[in-house]
Amino acid sequence: MSYIHVSDLSKTYIVRKKKSGSFLAREKTEVKALQGMNFEAEQGELIGYIGPNGAGKSTTIKILSGILTPDSGEVTVGGVCPWKDRKRHVGRIGVVFGQRTQLWWDVPVRDSYDLLRDIYRVSRADYDSQLRRLTDVLDLEPLMNTPLRMLSLGQRMRVELAGSLLHRPELLFLDEPTIGLDAVSKLMIRDFLKQENRENGTTVMLTTHDMEDISALCSRVMVIGKGQKLYDGGLNELLSAYDTVHIMTVRYADPSVCPVLPEGCETVAEEDALKITYRPDAVPTPVLLSALQEAGTIRDLTAQPQNIDRLVADMYKEMGM
Amino acid sequence: MRALYAVFRMRFREELRYRGAVIGGVICQTFFGLILIAVYRALYDTRPQTQPLQDVVTYVWLQQGFFRMMLSFDGELTEKIRSGGIAYDLCRPLNTYAYYCTRGMAQKVTGSLLRSVPMMMIAVLLPDGWGLRAPVSAPALFCALLSLFCGLLCVCALDMISNGFTLLTLDGRGIQSLLNLLMMTFSGNILPLTLFPDRWQGVIRVLPYAQLLDAPIRIYTGSQSLSGVPAIWGLQLAWTCVLTACGLLLWNVNRKRLVLQGG
Amino acid sequence: MNTIRFYTHSIRMLMKSRLQYPLSFTVQTLAQLVMEAGEMLAVLLVIDRFGGLKEWSGGEMLIFFGVMSITFYMTEIFGRGITGGIDSMIRQGGMDTLLIRPRSIMEQMICRDVDPRRIGCIAVGLTALIAGSAQTGLTWTFIRILLLLEAVFFGMMMVLGLFLIEATCSIFSVRSLEMINALTYGGRSACQYPIDVFPRPIRLLFSVVAPFSLTLHVPVSFIVGKPLFGWPQWTAFVCPLSGAVILAVMTVVFNIGIKHYRSTGS
Repeated sequence: MSYIHVSDLSKTYIVRKKKSGSFLAREKTEVKALQGMNFEAEQGELIGYIGPNGAGKSTTIKILSGILTPDSGEVTVGGVCPWKDRKRHVGRIGVVFGQRTQLWWDVPVRDSYDLLRDIYRVSRADYDSQLRRLTDVLDLEPLMNTPLRMLSLGQRMRVELAGSLLHRPELLFLDEPTIGLDAVSKLMIRDFLKQENRENGTTVMLTTHDMEDISALCSRVMVIGKGQKLYDGGLNELLSAYDTVHIMTVRYADPSVCPVLPEGCETVAEEDALKITYRPDAVPTPVLLSALQEAGTIRDLTAQPQNIDRLVADMYKEMGM
Repeated sequence: MRALYAVFRMRFREELRYRGAVIGGVICQTFFGLILIAVYRALYDTRPQTQPLQDVVTYVWLQQGFFRMMLSFDGELTEKIRSGGIAYDLCRPLNTYAYYCTRGMAQKVTGSLLRSVPMMMIAVLLPDGWGLRAPVSAPALFCALLSLFCGLLCVCALDMISNGFTLLTLDGRGIQSLLNLLMMTFSGNILPLTLFPDRWQGVIRVLPYAQLLDAPIRIYTGSQSLSGVPAIWGLQLAWTCVLTACGLLLWNVNRKRLVLQGG
Repeated sequence: MNTIRFYTHSIRMLMKSRLQYPLSFTVQTLAQLVMEAGEMLAVLLVIDRFGGLKEWSGGEMLIFFGVMSITFYMTEIFGRGITGGIDSMIRQGGMDTLLIRPRSIMEQMICRDVDPRRIGCIAVGLTALIAGSAQTGLTWTFIRILLLLEAVFFGMMMVLGLFLIEATCSIFSVRSLEMINALTYGGRSACQYPIDVFPRPIRLLFSVVAPFSLTLHVPVSFIVGKPLFGWPQWTAFVCPLSGAVILAVMTVVFNIGIKHYRSTGS
């Protein structure tokens, strides 16, 4: 059996909302967060898990990390069911939430780590060597004696990452680890995760909205929408399947020129330029180029690479999310 | 004036949103009232007093019902003081004192109206010796309500002084809890003022804390005759003026200090 | 063993961080002391006016007040992880953090926070206890001290159990703060007076649901040498155990609740 095995996972929330107007009555609505999710994963994989807000990403992560109990379905991680044998399961995993701290707010980082050592029952020698390694790689030495609340967001994420790895977990879950971080911190965290995965064979599963996280890190992408898995495979294959729209921007020497374009091109005027969106399978690029040249003297022509965020947005739209 | 009315209305809506808390509060406060009454009944069994038990029972219900009028908890103001955002407010042309005073007043009025009305209905239905008694006369009710209003002005002025101190020291938790204690004790919430030692009563009755609830309740139960009511109103208003003056002074000191620091 | 080590380690760490600002800590401790002194003042004033309460003398009332104060606020010092703002912790998703650690949730909740400021309240409680013993001429024999410790210890367990109701309600996102306060803080206010002054429904409430009468009134009656509400003398040593029962039952209920925890946020 695979290292992570998920089959037919379902979870429904019942949301009670106050009815507007009436004093006490409440409305009940069911939110189906997961409807029959399936996947397998092997040890050492680095999986990106994407999908629009409310698709069920966090619910999956929370079930896999033992926080939530699903309504139905089966999960084993290394042969252990997260919610049935919670303590044994969570002793082997690490979890980082991008928007929530797990360390003690008013306590110096070093003291927090020290307490984590007791919580996870890590031996002194193991702890010392692991902490030394993490301190070096994540450059934590200057932060160690500072209370958590005085750290910047980027520093805090580094500190959280180290905290989740002190007990050398074999599996690491990250829920939006780069949210709100500056470019330098993002790069540092990506490099670190790659290294952690490569050198220690740590299996990593991360959710994100930042497609660069995915393209920099993940060999495998899973897309979830409305509680179901919609895609599972390589990022490039995913992109090429949706990379159907090209954009070309053209500037004429005489701005009043208005080219006659083949059927299937959309044109938007932008100041002195024209932005043309077309599908290469319907309108071959050479045909479009010659049509543009016929209209007048071209001053400037740029073909924009497809924006990855747009691609994902198109994909979500097409998948009906 | 119009702006202040808007502040008032906004607070009322805000308070209405937390109906759950209101219902819970009513039940909790009613329970506290019952416990206190049980204790006083037992105490009266032990040694009867000149003041009738029924007056003490009524006193307890009115104290519990208007409990919200006493405590000040303007979370937004405290937060603004802690974060330093108050500096911007103080530099605005708006009269911050009046603004926060109105906010506090609106909070007290809405909070206690929403709680006291259902509580009074429960308390009236309770059997004799446990329940709330009707006011001694219609004029007494009217005078008591007017006196309650004067008391409200008085306690708002008092709150603004403690807010001013919080502004001055930035961490008002110490002074706030001290003032809360004075308020709880000398307003008659922990123990009706009539049950304080007789020789203390002359002094306690004059303190501003007694003006909020003790004075109107005495008029309501008739232990304060109507002829003495104008004197009570006078005392309440006098305290309001003195305390407002002190509060304004304190807030002005704060403003000057903040302006000097460059906001 | 490991649990105790985890607990002492947490307590040490949290105390250290609380004491980082000694001035603020001192002021707040004093404020607590003053607040509790106000409560004691009310009892003193009642004694001054009424002399006593039914068959209980003023000194005995002070002893009840003192033991209640010590029990309740010891719970708040060492059990603040449960007594202090558990509902907002759960609403803000703090439970997620506890669930991803290889420790039981109860264990972690206890280790979550301490509140050394309440030492001010304990000081007042001790004063009342000492003053009450002096007034009643009580001699503290070994057996009385033992029973007092037992009463305080199991009383703390009982109060923790009551606060767990709030935690359980919060898991099902039921806002219960005010209602539970009626039991906890209401119980504290009510049961600082002897239980027999209350009418039957309130007596039942504080004997079955929140048995302050068993953890506090029965043993204290034994200590001051009063009849135990018609019960045999040995019950004074058994009744406090009900505190452990309440805590055990509530822990089971809470753990069932955890299974239905639905987390918050994204």
